[in-house]
Amino acid sequence: MIKSLKGLSLLEFKNVSMGYNKGHDVLKDVSFKLEPGSMHFLTGPSGAGKTSLLKLLYLAHRPGRGEIIMFGRDVAKSPREELPKLRRRIGVVFQDFRLLDHMSAVENVALPLRIAGGSGAQINEHVEELLSWVGLKQRMQAFPSELSGGEKQRVAIARAVIRRPDILLADEPTGNVDPEMAERLMYLFVELNKLGTTIVIATHDNGLVSKIGAPRLHLETGKLLYLEGTRPPSEFLNQDGEFKI
Amino acid sequence: MSPSFDFLPSVKNREATKLLPWAMAIMVYLSALFAAGSLLLHSGFDEWASSLQGRVTVQITGEEKSAIMSEALEIQDELRGTPGIKSVRILSDEEISALLEPWLGSGNITDNLPVPVMIDLETSDDAYVNLDALESQVRQYSENVYLDDHARWLSHFYNLANTIEYTAFSILIMILAASICIVIFGTKSSMAEHKKTIEIMHLMGAQDHMIAKAYQNRFMIYGIKGGLGGLVLTLLTIYILFILIQNISEGLVEIPSFPFLTLSSLLLFPFFFAFLTMLTARVTVLRELGRMV
Repeated sequence: MIKSLKGLSLLEFKNVSMGYNKGHDVLKDVSFKLEPGSMHFLTGPSGAGKTSLLKLLYLAHRPGRGEIIMFGRDVAKSPREELPKLRRRIGVVFQDFRLLDHMSAVENVALPLRIAGGSGAQINEHVEELLSWVGLKQRMQAFPSELSGGEKQRVAIARAVIRRPDILLADEPTGNVDPEMAERLMYLFVELNKLGTTIVIATHDNGLVSKIGAPRLHLETGKLLYLEGTRPPSEFLNQDGEFKI
Repeated sequence: MSPSFDFLPSVKNREATKLLPWAMAIMVYLSALFAAGSLLLHSGFDEWASSLQGRVTVQITGEEKSAIMSEALEIQDELRGTPGIKSVRILSDEEISALLEPWLGSGNITDNLPVPVMIDLETSDDAYVNLDALESQVRQYSENVYLDDHARWLSHFYNLANTIEYTAFSILIMILAASICIVIFGTKSSMAEHKKTIEIMHLMGAQDHMIAKAYQNRFMIYGIKGGLGGLVLTLLTIYILFILIQNISEGLVEIPSFPFLTLSSLLLFPFFFAFLTMLTARVTVLRELGRMV
């Protein structure tokens, strides 16, 4: 998939503006381009429009003006019947996790695979492996109400990456976990990025941003500033798979 | 075709949809009862009307029993010779008493009661008998002779039966419309209850048809459960009513045996309602989802 997109941008915003209920625009004339396999942070103060930009990215909203080219299509104008297939190529880690309360951790993580029509045994094997990796092997059958904030976050991340999405969007993915788990999760994101997944992480954590050094999409009152990263993605990790600080 | 996946949580006590099978049971009960009433009325009336088809009653009244009897014998002979008439028969005193007994009571028919003599005549199936001409023909034997082919009051009865049937049909349509409204309300309420789940499914790439399928399957089960319950209640009610009518009308009207065949069409009601419920839920979900991006 990534190969077929080579030379094309995976995602491009062209003069995109967006507002709610005909109110004032929360995003103003936003333009940027993401190459396949890139990694970006989305930063900015509260109310700057980060969540709105993410909503456009995970196709929960359409822009008021402008074009959003995603996977070679203008999703701002695509018929809604086309959107589910595109959404399946996007993994999202929501800030409030959005786990389904009536499903166990393993069922929550399996959700994207079941939506895509995956078969039972294959799904379980894959899901259990990933949950073990995020340290939830003993909590697979637990329901969200029985999980701590950090555990919920890890389930949400596992659910977002289970289908190896082309684009992974994460809203404050390390906000509720301890520093060790935060590093482990960032390692997962960087590994996915190395495999070709385009990643956008919305965060307030300046420490994390400067540690990874990836370029930033910075929003200030709905306007976007593009800030170059301090190092290319290939240098995020050393040969031992640890972050270079 | 989207894969089937029941992602909805099991129904909790507080959910509005928990009451849906009960609502469907009541709707099936009412509609099946009206339909059964209409069907029984229709078939009963047809059967009865066809038994009167081609029959004419000749009534001869008078003070003197022997005089009217001799007039009746002359009229009988006259009618027997008339083309198009298949059979002519003077009813016996016992037969007339049996006809009057339900109205006057047993043993109240005395000899001094001015009971008319009655002749039952049956016309040939393919014959057209002019009742006025026939009346003029027999009037030469008695001034007090009346012919009745039951047409006038039968037409009133037809009108009444038709009105009852149309009313039952209109009520049936109203019940169906009310059922659709209940299912729409139940579906919307369930969607509001599971808004978060639906949104997540939607954002993860679930197609509208997948979400609709989960709803339509669940609502179809509600429809079948409620429908079967309603049908059992309907059949029970009809049976009880049937027994009661049989007891009350003993001797007045001949009641046929329990009409299993006529009522067998009612067995389709739960499945029809389940289908209606399923279809309504599906359309409602698709319309609601169509409002999302």
